[in-house]
Amino acid sequence: MSELKVGVVSCSGEECLGGTISRLATRKVLEELKLVETVTLCLPLYLAGGKEERNFAKVFPTISVDGCDKLCAKRSTEKYSGKISGFIDVSKIIGNENALNKKIVRNKDLNKEHLQMIDEIATEIVRMIGSINPDSYSGKSFCGCSCGSDQ
Amino acid sequence: MVENYAILPCNGLDKCAGVISREIAIKLCENPKNEIICPVYYRVAEAKYNKIAGKHPLLVIDGCQTRCASKLSAEKNLKISRQVTITEEAKKHKIELGSNLRLLENENALIEIIQNGLNNTEVKVTQSSVETSFLVKFEYETYQNGKFIFRVPKNQEVWFNENDCWVYVIGNRARIGVTDFVQQNLSDILYFTPPEIGAEIDQFGEVGEIESSKSVFELISPVSGKVISINETIVQQPELINENPYESGWIAELELTDFESDKELLIGFDKYFEIVKNKVKDVNG
Repeated sequence: MSELKVGVVSCSGEECLGGTISRLATRKVLEELKLVETVTLCLPLYLAGGKEERNFAKVFPTISVDGCDKLCAKRSTEKYSGKISGFIDVSKIIGNENALNKKIVRNKDLNKEHLQMIDEIATEIVRMIGSINPDSYSGKSFCGCSCGSDQ
Repeated sequence: MVENYAILPCNGLDKCAGVISREIAIKLCENPKNEIICPVYYRVAEAKYNKIAGKHPLLVIDGCQTRCASKLSAEKNLKISRQVTITEEAKKHKIELGSNLRLLENENALIEIIQNGLNNTEVKVTQSSVETSFLVKFEYETYQNGKFIFRVPKNQEVWFNENDCWVYVIGNRARIGVTDFVQQNLSDILYFTPPEIGAEIDQFGEVGEIESSKSVFELISPVSGKVISINETIVQQPELINENPYESGWIAELELTDFESDKELLIGFDKYFEIVKNKVKDVNG
């Protein structure tokens, strides 16, 4: 049995701060906080028909991170791969006013307060990963091809 | 003067190139006349983004060869004015991209090069200036019968008709040609008669001829559209069709009229590969 991995799928959000924070918090988890335990599922690739991404989300626990209440990542993942293990709506945590801010979307424009928001969302993702019961996925592995095998 | 763009980046989040595509798009949108199209939300808010895509020339920024943004524009039948693939640009400028998602010195240098290139190049939305980069190398499945090898490209954007012609579609443009089955059966190809540039071709209409010492083959177009360019090289060197009818031996490029409708009468790799095997068995036993 291979080690259980958790997929994290972030919204693409490039129109507002919530999307930027989703992506950066997701990256923080993938690159620093849960480097070994997580993989990223690229949402544009997933929607373009990426079989590996879709099959992963069918077999392994997957968490979506959305910038606003449109919940593009959650809805898309559930449409093609079934129920997800957890979802985060960033706007519920940092507030709509911040999340829907269209003036600040680039990383270089983020201030200290925004970086704290990223930390807060990253912590929430980590908490959600910790709440997943590995026994529910015991014995499952992902062969990496597009056969959808969950032996 | 540079025109304003509707910008469709791939916005990938599994490779650095995807992150670069987003960064370039957002930087370009510091000019308020440029507008961005979110590749994910586009699938929900189609009307909103169709309006944006209709207002400006479309710039598509793909991170890698998977070309998710180009695929999306094809799906939405958008006319691409400029297309950039980050990994190809990195190769062209000899810049090595990092294996993680961080934008460091190399990545930022590439962003600046691409952004400057886009800002300083005049864009005219005419058929001849449409820049689409078709892949020059395909992955193939092969079927061997005796000494003859028949290749069929496995790329998802390549479609076939039962007349043994292929079409490779990116956005509103297509490249067409014949398959290995045709060139193997014709043997040494001696002449190529191209279609006329500007000619309006119906799906299954004739789009040029190739001739060998054995026979003449009329190319049956897999798609409808206007011929916008031909492969000038094969006029002088038709033997390139024998060498590789999918790569150096392509025939013509068309601006598509209604690919969504044409697609219903085309077949994908799996089915065509089976058809080829059966045809070869019929011909050669």
